[in-house]
Amino acid sequence: MDEIFNILTRLLMSLGHLAIILVAAPLLQGFIKKSKAYWQMRQGPPILQPYRDLRKLMNKEELVSEHASWIFLLTPRVVLASTLMAGLVIPSVWGWAPLSVWGDIFLLGASLGLARLFLALSGLEGAGTFGGMGSSRELFIGLLTEPALILGLVVLAFITGTTSLQEINIGLQSISPLFIPKILVLITLVMVCIAEMGRIPLDNPDTHLELTMIHEGMLLEYSGPSLALLNFAEQVKQLLLLVLLAHLIWPSDLISLSEGPFGMLWALGFVGVKVVALGFFFATVESLFVKRRLFRAPHYLATGTACAVLALISLWIIGGQI
Amino acid sequence: MVNKESQSVRQLLMSISVALAAVGLVWGTFLISQGGEWIKTGWRFSTDAGAGLSLTWKMDGLTVFFLFILLLGQGLSSLYAVGYLKEYEEKKKSLVSFYVPWFLFLGSMVGVLLADDGFTFLLTWEMMSLFSFFLVLYEHDEPQNRKSAYIYLVMTHVATIFLFAATLFLQAKTGSFAFQEWANVVPSLSTIELNLIFVALFIGLGTKAGFVPFHIWLPYAHSAAPSPVSALMSGVMVKVALYLMIRLVWLTLGPGPVWWGWLFLIVGAFSAVVGILAASTQSDLKKLLAFSTIENVGILTMALGSAFLARSWNSSWAMDLAFIAFFWHTLQHMLFKTLLFMGAGNIIQATHTRNLERLGGLLRRMPKTGFAALLGIVGITALPPLGGFWGELMLFQSLWENTIHLSDGWSKVFLPLAIGILALVGGLSIATFVKWFGISFLGQARSPAAASAKESDPVQTMVPLVVGGLAALTVLWPAMTLALINLPLSVIRTGDVIGISSSAVGKPLLMSSVYLGVILLLTTVIVLLTKRATRKVTATWNCGAALTPSMQYTAGGITNPIRVLFAKVLGSRPKVKGDFAGTQYSLRSLTYTGSVKEVTEDIFIRPLIRGLLWSSAQVRKLQSGSIHLYLAYLLVTLVAVLILGS
Repeated sequence: MDEIFNILTRLLMSLGHLAIILVAAPLLQGFIKKSKAYWQMRQGPPILQPYRDLRKLMNKEELVSEHASWIFLLTPRVVLASTLMAGLVIPSVWGWAPLSVWGDIFLLGASLGLARLFLALSGLEGAGTFGGMGSSRELFIGLLTEPALILGLVVLAFITGTTSLQEINIGLQSISPLFIPKILVLITLVMVCIAEMGRIPLDNPDTHLELTMIHEGMLLEYSGPSLALLNFAEQVKQLLLLVLLAHLIWPSDLISLSEGPFGMLWALGFVGVKVVALGFFFATVESLFVKRRLFRAPHYLATGTACAVLALISLWIIGGQI
Repeated sequence: MVNKESQSVRQLLMSISVALAAVGLVWGTFLISQGGEWIKTGWRFSTDAGAGLSLTWKMDGLTVFFLFILLLGQGLSSLYAVGYLKEYEEKKKSLVSFYVPWFLFLGSMVGVLLADDGFTFLLTWEMMSLFSFFLVLYEHDEPQNRKSAYIYLVMTHVATIFLFAATLFLQAKTGSFAFQEWANVVPSLSTIELNLIFVALFIGLGTKAGFVPFHIWLPYAHSAAPSPVSALMSGVMVKVALYLMIRLVWLTLGPGPVWWGWLFLIVGAFSAVVGILAASTQSDLKKLLAFSTIENVGILTMALGSAFLARSWNSSWAMDLAFIAFFWHTLQHMLFKTLLFMGAGNIIQATHTRNLERLGGLLRRMPKTGFAALLGIVGITALPPLGGFWGELMLFQSLWENTIHLSDGWSKVFLPLAIGILALVGGLSIATFVKWFGISFLGQARSPAAASAKESDPVQTMVPLVVGGLAALTVLWPAMTLALINLPLSVIRTGDVIGISSSAVGKPLLMSSVYLGVILLLTTVIVLLTKRATRKVTATWNCGAALTPSMQYTAGGITNPIRVLFAKVLGSRPKVKGDFAGTQYSLRSLTYTGSVKEVTEDIFIRPLIRGLLWSSAQVRKLQSGSIHLYLAYLLVTLVAVLILGS
């Protein structure tokens, strides 16, 4: 009986975890847009605008290219599903991940990879030039991002002695914020997050100019509900990465049901503040820099990978192991 | 028209091949389920070869696992061949030169797996090389294929010389060919002798497996052969070489020094990166798959390396993980590579071209082949939910365990770097297979041949789907796959059988079914929620201009950023020539020529060949053809013999 109760609580908490991610994702997008508008001295769209955009798109008729196959329609669904799979291993606002198993840092990278595979395939569906251009560039950026992301997370795993993001979050609580390997890894992960979110200096989410777009290029043929799903998936991914970063920069406690509703709400607010601060940070970064040429991307991401390698070496040197 | 008689011969022979595989699998499963000591210690038998020689054979858990891979591959490829060979009949091409080597090739592979002494091993190994050579040569009317088969023959024989050297050396030491005797004498060998034997075996077996830089034959041979043969060569034959790596190096030569493990790990990482980089720039449907085989062999070799290192460092946990990764990936790669070669075979028969630049839009014309191929690319790029990912996860875990097991040293930096390299290889393989699938199956047809393609024979579309189903089954029911992996593991751990499916070692693998279930559930829910959308089919947005097939991204274009970034490794030197018709600004025409070749060819194989030719030329100076010189030789020899004899 206890067993069943435990499973039910876990299931319920997992659903709650997913629900929070789904509800909060467009809000974060609205906030980042607003922050960027602030730096550009504009008023910007209302913070709730992303919800309205999604609702509008969901009710629209969908146009499908005559050259497209069923993969074109399957992609938005798979992309959202695999982004949510990535969300299952990321600790929630209560520091607790629904799927906490050995090596879930790799599951995170691989789930994002699955989304990338389908998106890149769909870019080729329309038989146009823009889609192919987007796919080609996305694959290129993706293959450079992957090693930096994995190495960065692996170093964190070595710091804490575990490969589960939930445990890493707990383990990092006892690490000083000035621990050099940790700082180096965080630099890596911030750079990787910018690349994964498709933001300046690697990609510009606001442009539809054919020469510069990467992510938007692949989405060019989409309209209606499918576009809504893809935009939503992108917002979810953005939220997940920021939540993850927030947990790594300021690790939070594991909050269980016994803390009572007030304790749980407080934790939610705490993580909310951290994510908002990070969102403002990324909006600032995006306002300060310019987009770089595609062939500058390797330098940028190599810097990220190098930081991860340095972090690894410094970790063992500080530990006196080499 | 197809001759009725030859049709029934084809069906009969291929059915026999399928039936043999099926009987083997069922009988094997029955024997295994009975249990018994023989799985650990081996069951020996011998056949009299006449002239006082007898061939000895042994079957243990390790053999059983690879026999399973072989028989499964044989059954699936033979079934596929029933449909695939029809085209040759229609072209009135004799199939006798296919059937005979086909059966002998399969038989000799079984022989290699069962061999228990050096003589039997070399005999069956040579047979395997020879009959696969005949299969590669089957479409010999094309000069390209003759060249491929020739390169294969030369490389495989150069490699076999190393195997002969190792075998004869050990035979001279022990006076016996038996592997068991060799294992007994190994502790008494000096370090140099042991290392020399190891290097000889590494080169000899590594060439067959396709280790970089001994791999140059592989892309030629695997792509020149008819598709069912390519599937067998890529899916099974390279694994036979890796089987021997375990049988001869791990089990016979014993633990060995630490550098053996590093050699495996580094060569594996190098093979994986070079293989997938070369694959990503290929525009030949089958050559791309062959290069991807090199990548996967690299990953398997890295797993072996991790296992060797774990053995040297006494970390049995990491060793188990590395071997689970190795066997899991062996199975998965066999399934997915077989599937993809079958898909490539269907495309080639439907369009009569292997050039990706002439394909496109095939998914609408060949929906079943396309669906199976989609499963194949998700599996081969090591992405969840299919099997490729879970093997790599085990390898990650093994490298991780090895690192934290060590108390200090630079190894703690290099091992995690291997994880980073695997991540890079994963990203590159996504790009490669998006190109393979996207250019051939999606978009618009790039040639009339692709526009008029027809779905293949029902058998040819059914078999890839069956393979895809089997691959899904291994993930849905990981405990069964782990039970299979337990067989070879019990031999490697020298008799210590553990129920890995219930112990913590295999635990992450059990997640695979959960992951598959949850992602399917989520996708279904999202599909159901967005079902009621109205859709309209329209033209692709092209800024108002008409859309032509040539506006799509090409196979060369989609991975061009990779080619630019890794230009040095890929030896890419593109030339752009513009015709400005005498003016400075008005461009009349633009020609772009670019080619890639592997840098290993330039820095390893060609210098090797040059060095060989040079030394041959030096030796030839002795044979100048002048009778006076020969008389002088005789005189010198005579004097030398007299002096020595006195």
